[in-house]
Amino acid sequence: MEISPASSALFLGALLLYLAGAVLPLFLRGRRESAVSAFLPAALGSLLVVIFAASVIVSGSAIRISSPVAAPLAVLDFSLYIDGIAAFFMLIIGLVALSVSVYSIGYSESYYGRHSVGALGFLVNLFVISMLLVTATDSVFSFLVFWELMSLSSFFLVVYEHEKPKNLRSGMTYLIMTHIGTAFITAAFLVLYLQTGSLSFDSFRGAAAQLPALTKDSVFVLALLGFGTKAGLVPMHTWLPKAHPAAPSNVSALMSGVMLKVAIYGLARVTLGFVLPDSPGDAWLGLLMVMAGSASALFGVLFAAVEHDIKRALAYHSVENVGIIVVGLGLSVVFMSYGLETLAALALLASMYHSLNHAVFKGLLFMAAGSVVLGAGTADMNLMGGLAKRMPWTSLFFLVGSIAIAGLPPLNGFVSEWLTLQALLSSYQVPNVVLQLSIGFSSIVFALTLGLALATFVKLFGISFLARPRSKGAENATEAPRTMLVGMGLAGGLCVVLGVLPLVATSLISSSFGFNMGLVSGYPPFGPLTVGYTAAGLKSLSEISPPEVLVAAASVGAALLGFVTVASRGRKTIVRPYSTWEGGFGPLGVRTEYTASSLSQPIRTAFKWFYRPHTSTERTYFSDSNHMVRRSISFVSETKEVFEEYLYSPTTRAVLFVLDKVRKIQTGKINSYLLYVLIVTAVLLLLAALQP
Amino acid sequence: MTYGLAVDAAVAVMQGIAVVALAPLLTGIMRKVKARTQKRVGASVLQPYYDLLKLLHKDEVVSDQASWVFRSAPWVVAVSTVTAALFVPVFLPFSALSAAGDFILVLGLFALARFFNMLAGIDAASAFGGIGTSREMMMSALAEPGLFVTLFVVSLTLGGTNLTSLVGAAAQSGVVLTASMLFGLIALFIIVLAETGRLPFDNPATHLELTMVHEAMLLEYSGKSLALVEWSQATKQLVLFALLVNLFVPVGMPVSMGAGPLQLGAGSLAVLAKLGLLAVLVAYVETRIAKWRLFRLVDLFALAIASGMVGMIFFYL
Repeated sequence: MEISPASSALFLGALLLYLAGAVLPLFLRGRRESAVSAFLPAALGSLLVVIFAASVIVSGSAIRISSPVAAPLAVLDFSLYIDGIAAFFMLIIGLVALSVSVYSIGYSESYYGRHSVGALGFLVNLFVISMLLVTATDSVFSFLVFWELMSLSSFFLVVYEHEKPKNLRSGMTYLIMTHIGTAFITAAFLVLYLQTGSLSFDSFRGAAAQLPALTKDSVFVLALLGFGTKAGLVPMHTWLPKAHPAAPSNVSALMSGVMLKVAIYGLARVTLGFVLPDSPGDAWLGLLMVMAGSASALFGVLFAAVEHDIKRALAYHSVENVGIIVVGLGLSVVFMSYGLETLAALALLASMYHSLNHAVFKGLLFMAAGSVVLGAGTADMNLMGGLAKRMPWTSLFFLVGSIAIAGLPPLNGFVSEWLTLQALLSSYQVPNVVLQLSIGFSSIVFALTLGLALATFVKLFGISFLARPRSKGAENATEAPRTMLVGMGLAGGLCVVLGVLPLVATSLISSSFGFNMGLVSGYPPFGPLTVGYTAAGLKSLSEISPPEVLVAAASVGAALLGFVTVASRGRKTIVRPYSTWEGGFGPLGVRTEYTASSLSQPIRTAFKWFYRPHTSTERTYFSDSNHMVRRSISFVSETKEVFEEYLYSPTTRAVLFVLDKVRKIQTGKINSYLLYVLIVTAVLLLLAALQP
Repeated sequence: MTYGLAVDAAVAVMQGIAVVALAPLLTGIMRKVKARTQKRVGASVLQPYYDLLKLLHKDEVVSDQASWVFRSAPWVVAVSTVTAALFVPVFLPFSALSAAGDFILVLGLFALARFFNMLAGIDAASAFGGIGTSREMMMSALAEPGLFVTLFVVSLTLGGTNLTSLVGAAAQSGVVLTASMLFGLIALFIIVLAETGRLPFDNPATHLELTMVHEAMLLEYSGKSLALVEWSQATKQLVLFALLVNLFVPVGMPVSMGAGPLQLGAGSLAVLAKLGLLAVLVAYVETRIAKWRLFRLVDLFALAIASGMVGMIFFYL
């Protein structure tokens, strides 16, 4: 393991560039200057990070950058250790940060005159630095410091538009939830500390094989709760749909695309590095993850299906996709517990591929949503429509993101979901019928999620971009500035590349996680992706080769075009534009169009047990004696956030109730406080006396 | 492989062309059977071909509200459906592109086609399109788990997700009369009815807003675009019927890829006969039942999912 000075220089250079991007805009006041000075260095820094991470992964050797500290201050060890896994997540951060930085140059200009662009630039750069350092640290203390820096900088970004009280409330929810998560993570690390007597990740890794079962289980569950809160697993997801609509869209892209992945990084580190699932007894931990992941995926997409705020719907889709990622991780743990190394690698590959994909397409979708919100002046899809004509590029990018996230070929979402499905189908090799059946049933939930995600994205794209504009704002929408389009174009291009050439990503992931599993065959990067099977005594392979599919589709397209031309004897079709058929009832208007809510109504009815929809109709009459002639009629239909309703509200009420009772001991009289002191002293003395 | 890769590939591509060419005939047969069971004479079985040819010569009327998505959707639908057809062993025990894609890819391509169909439904700003899209959103979302659970059962029993090896394994083992496969068959039959828009899910013969699902989404199409979408729907129907037949009733399908031309020809004829029988069965069922109310369909989907789950339980226990 050689320390390569060139590489560490790349990383430190990137950090310096981000720092420059953080500090410079605080001193520059102009419209252009502050935006460019904040985000141009950030874009360059991200480019360096991408190069650095790729070089670490390709070289296959970890990099250690140590900071000399005196022995008594060992706890303050801020040395960095960047192995393949860390580098892979840095690659994700770098790729998304690159496109978001370019996008932000144009996007942050829209805040000019209303908010401090300098503060935005400062916080975004700080946010990216802290995420990079979280993945790079190698000890508990520095991990927690950077984790907290990441949480706080993102909190300030969430409340960036602080003049709206709603945003402040969302920010508080985020702040509280993220610290509950941090508490669990700290607890997990402390349990490990008790076991190993050291706070460095190295010693955790070293002791992983000898951990007692109880420690293993408790660390695992604590980590799942802690990182799951940050990643947005159900039921700890409540902050996500609040924070994202509040935050500026470039920040949403970073938070959803990247910060959730940092939480996944932590989860993967702990569950597969510090806690080695190496006996069948550990399989239930993996099953727990599979269950939690499936539940997140299904509930996330169900919430998204009835949402009409475009950014909140995307936030719920993050809950869904994190669920898919955690299903992959959980499968990997299950397979590892049974010593099925190849399958564990397959599931981990699926999970990590989906992490990368989700970062790219969710970043893209949030950026496109930001450009829509900017163009149409609203985030409510019921007030959008007709944007495909007014914002052609944004609509194209949103369509690319939608196809990718819905898991449709030929884009990247399909490949990772294919891999996850293959991992789910391989679960028959686990020699335990309970596990087989529960994973099999989880896969049904998973498939339902995919179906609902497709439907939801029909709604998201169709209602926002197609048909007739539903408001003045949508009618007067204009295309986003060029830098924003370039930023989205970068992410969109990545969606295509990762979908068409999956071997680029799989070989990167294989070498960063150090597994060699025969998945790579043919001539990378054009070869097929292969998964081997044995069932019913037959050996068979499952393969997909997106480049070949694309070539086949292109030939089919050419053949069809030729056929249609020949069949119509080469006559050019005359296309006559005419108004939509209105059924003979006079001109159609905005009010006859389908809206986001009406489009999802069948799904809302089909899943009544989940949404518990509540509808009410209010009528007012001209006179009370005659109910035939109405003055007005209004109809309200709401769905409940079941977790808010049945989990968080009761918990909050209970906590407040207990605190109210506890407050009674604060009498404000000196006598009672003296009594407390006396009681405590007596108890302490008693304890000391009882001490053997 | 007696004749080498090139001949095999050529034969397999011919198979793809035959699937696309014969798809409207299947629709024609089903319409004829329906007409006869309803004591009507009915149009010729070739009527779908005449309709398509007529449409290909027509000019188009496009809504002035529609965007580029509406114009490009028929092409995306047609290309992805026909490409999917190239992956499926329909008449032969192998397909042109089985090394490049599997069952999941075929489902993905169908889903891509459906995605664009649904978007096109919204694009013309008509409430008819909206109604079709919103119903299809619910139905496709519920069909997905049913399809996947069948895939799970089939893949457990026959191995893998590669269609050529699945169909080959099915041919080798004959009609698998295990409980798990039977329940899988029930699930897949229900889902195929839903996916091809047959009764009781959708009435392919109506243009009444109360019952339309698939037709409502295409209501604004005319001319070539309509021809492309209709033809794709017919192709998808043939492909799904063939999957049902080849995976669950592989009688007459040659076992190995290297079978002689005579065996392959006999196998193709057997598949044709079985497809015809299935078409007659589905058409006959259609004359016996009415369309179900939209929200009762949820129960039918639940039945498909449940029987798939039962199949899975039977496999593992």
